[in-house]
Amino acid sequence: MSDVLSFIGKRLLWMVATLWLVYTISFVLMRLAPGGPFSSERKVPPAIERQMEARYNLDGSYVEQYFDYLGGIVTRGDLGWSLRLEDYSVNEVIAQGLPVSASLAVFALIFAIVLGVTAGVISAVYRGTIADTSMMIAAVVGIAVPNFVLASVAILLFVFGLNIFPAAGWGTLKQVLLPAICLGAPVAAYIARLARTGMLESLSREHVRTAIAKGLPKSAVIFKHVLPGAMLPVVSYLGPATARVLTGSLVLEQIFALPGIGSHFINAALQRDYTLAMGMVLTYTVILFVMNSIVDLSYAIIDPRVKLQ
Amino acid sequence: MPPEVRRAFLMLAGIVAVAMVVWAARFQPLPPADFTFQNGTDPKTLDPHRATGQPESRIIFNVFAGLLQALPDGPPDAETGVQPMSAQPSIAKSFTVSEDGKTYTFDLRDDAVWSDGVPITSEDFRWSWTRMLHPETLCQYSFQLYQLPHAEAYNTGVVKVGDRVEAELWDRPDDVPGGDSSTQNFPRGTIRYGTLVEIRKPDEPTYPDTMSNDAREKAEAAWKEDWVYVIDVCDVAEDGSVDWDDVSGQETFCINAATSPVADEETQATHGVLVAFDKLEAIETPDPQTLIVRLKTPVPYFPDLLAYYPTFLVPKHCIEEFGAPLWTKDDQIVCNGPYKIEKRLLRDRIRLRKNEKYFDADQVSIETIDAISTESGNTALNMYETGQLEWVYDPPSLLLDELRTRDDFHPAPMLSVYFYRINVKRPPMDDVRVRRAVAMAIDRDQVVNQITKAGQIPAYRLVPPGMAGYQSPEGFKPDIEEARRLLAEAGYPGGRGFPKLTLLYNTQQMHRAIAEVLQQQLLNSLNIKIELQNMEWGSYLDKVDQINYDIARAGWIADFADPTTFLDLWVTDGAQNSTGWSNKRFDELLQEAAVAGDQPEKRMQLLAEAEQIWIDEMPVIPMYFYVSKNLIKSNVEGFFPTPQDRHPLHLLRLKEDKE
Repeated sequence: MSDVLSFIGKRLLWMVATLWLVYTISFVLMRLAPGGPFSSERKVPPAIERQMEARYNLDGSYVEQYFDYLGGIVTRGDLGWSLRLEDYSVNEVIAQGLPVSASLAVFALIFAIVLGVTAGVISAVYRGTIADTSMMIAAVVGIAVPNFVLASVAILLFVFGLNIFPAAGWGTLKQVLLPAICLGAPVAAYIARLARTGMLESLSREHVRTAIAKGLPKSAVIFKHVLPGAMLPVVSYLGPATARVLTGSLVLEQIFALPGIGSHFINAALQRDYTLAMGMVLTYTVILFVMNSIVDLSYAIIDPRVKLQ
Repeated sequence: MPPEVRRAFLMLAGIVAVAMVVWAARFQPLPPADFTFQNGTDPKTLDPHRATGQPESRIIFNVFAGLLQALPDGPPDAETGVQPMSAQPSIAKSFTVSEDGKTYTFDLRDDAVWSDGVPITSEDFRWSWTRMLHPETLCQYSFQLYQLPHAEAYNTGVVKVGDRVEAELWDRPDDVPGGDSSTQNFPRGTIRYGTLVEIRKPDEPTYPDTMSNDAREKAEAAWKEDWVYVIDVCDVAEDGSVDWDDVSGQETFCINAATSPVADEETQATHGVLVAFDKLEAIETPDPQTLIVRLKTPVPYFPDLLAYYPTFLVPKHCIEEFGAPLWTKDDQIVCNGPYKIEKRLLRDRIRLRKNEKYFDADQVSIETIDAISTESGNTALNMYETGQLEWVYDPPSLLLDELRTRDDFHPAPMLSVYFYRINVKRPPMDDVRVRRAVAMAIDRDQVVNQITKAGQIPAYRLVPPGMAGYQSPEGFKPDIEEARRLLAEAGYPGGRGFPKLTLLYNTQQMHRAIAEVLQQQLLNSLNIKIELQNMEWGSYLDKVDQINYDIARAGWIADFADPTTFLDLWVTDGAQNSTGWSNKRFDELLQEAAVAGDQPEKRMQLLAEAEQIWIDEMPVIPMYFYVSKNLIKSNVEGFFPTPQDRHPLHLLRLKEDKE
């Protein structure tokens, strides 16, 4: 067990270092970008602009700003007030948006895993049949088609054609399903291909051949002896998949009018909302880092051959 | 790993997965609202002194009220169907204007209360407007009250020796080291009043010649924070009035009291020394129901300004209790308009509920309203078609051809204009003949018919039609022959030798499409080559601000229904000018018009004369006047196109479905 704890400890240290690096790079990039958080078509007099800068602690030198803001984050977990959504602090924006994005991501991932693994297993077991070919063609298409195209088709089909889902909005289970499917579909396609490859590799293993030769029923062989080994590539893909469903939601949030954090990410950067953009970047960093670490950890637990280092 | 750990881990993973799905599937949906509309991007703030955009104003107009309100007046325009609006009583039940047009006396209703029951008095207006003008409030519309005496000086922080001033002591509730007082500017600290007798200034630092203007302004502002103000302080009476001649002693104040070289031990720290706007003659409140407002010069459109949300009331008791911006949270905000805020979900919706305490609550018909935050026209149209929205203000342009044939689509002209700024300092556009040639060679009909498609009106002048009492000059005529002649006269016959120009626009599908048509047209008609440059908003504004472009696209929406809202943009070195254009006569005409408020006809003539100069000089190429593009369900009554696309929600009625 001690190796697990030391692994987690080491990862935490790495995460702090990564966050610091991300903070520094984002800080520099944002200050380098032309325009400022207060540029607008209707210009403000210099005296007022100075007051605005003072209000948001942007009046000091860049070095002062760098350490002031970093200090606030480290000591109080305070990401400051959003410069553009000025009734909200960055912490509030994330607190309101993250659950929405997370909820969407959970549904998308579950959908992707269930559909992807099922399709992968079926096409591996019935390798070379029409079912296999058509599912793999569907998977290639699924990977290639961008999700906003998929979303448009899905809206035409399910909203206007079949009338089973609402067009957009947030607040009910029905409203989350369609965007989750659109978000999860490309991931499902990828998982299907990984699962199929893993299955085929496992099927040709000697212990599997032994099991079949022993006369075990086919389903028992597949679920007991083939599937666990075949799932390893899928598990290792879950880290990037999480990243994908979280970042890939930007476009879908627009199309389906979802109040997630994805659209804040874009808007904050475009409007030079320094604090909100920083909050978003750091949040994504933490999420991705944690997800990848969990995947690494679970990989070591599931696969006896992998050692934690 | 031992196998039992592995098994336990798999179990755990399964449990976590199930728990996550259960968590993700938990929703607490709000009951559906009676009326739902598309509100564009999420409102940045609900503070009337801080808001600027359309999504903000759609909410604020309906949850706050001021002295007056814009309501329909007279029959709709026969041709366009636009319903004229005028400023009509709201919290003020009536008002009188003195003969010289400089003193307004408002008679307030005695039944007006906030949504928490606190009565509204004339003092509330004094406090609200003082807050609006206070430099730290950073209200972008503060210039709208600049005609009140001392308002501009108070807002910009200018004080002179001899002025009657206020000094706010450094004792706000959050004035502790590291405190957050900068975001909580109201409630204010203790205020001392008196007459400024002297300003002690330390030596002004020398600024190197290489210093940029911005940096110099900053350095100057930092130097001014070391100034020590010597004030003959007087006492404040019980009723809040100040007897300026009753001096109780001389005291000194300084922003950097601890570090300034000219401060001494007696010097008190202050947030700033400002003209005592609220204690001087601008506003007078003889009793809770009477408000007297004095202006420096007559302003014919002053009632319109009072019907515009920055001058609306804000709740003093609520702001003082929670501070800004926390008072705008949905469980803390107090309103005085027809609706109040029930729920505020970021990027999702704002739920409005009828304010039972509104003085005119009987006239408010719809009980709950949702303002949905969605920017995408496609999404909004999908929601409209499937019955999730009743009003869409921005359907996708690609579908306008089809929408125009429908009964629920109501396009109508608006007081706003789409135009291209020209950098008049850069050759060859520094030559007025070239500017006019370009302006004349553009076929605006093609742009409005093939691209924007909603019936926009080609613009050959600056001020949109529909300004009451104003007759715009004729404008120029599109004329390719004349354009070629002008270009030849300027030294570029047939476009020969004409340098390549760059047209700058901010990233948007529509702007690009229009720019491309323009590019093609100018190449065909004048043989002028134009390069398109596309930038995202922040960088685009930066370039325009620094006048570092050849041609740049822009748009402007009227703040109030008066031609000055468009003409004032182009005064020499005006904040929005950004073209480098300057015309003495133009400036003079606008100044003459500003003091001719008591002679409306003459004033309008002066303004028209100024517009004629603008047309002759063409520092900007007008393209078209916008139209509003509202889609509204047929069961909604009381919705009509208005010049500024404002739609008071309390006038709407829902017809019962007869099916």
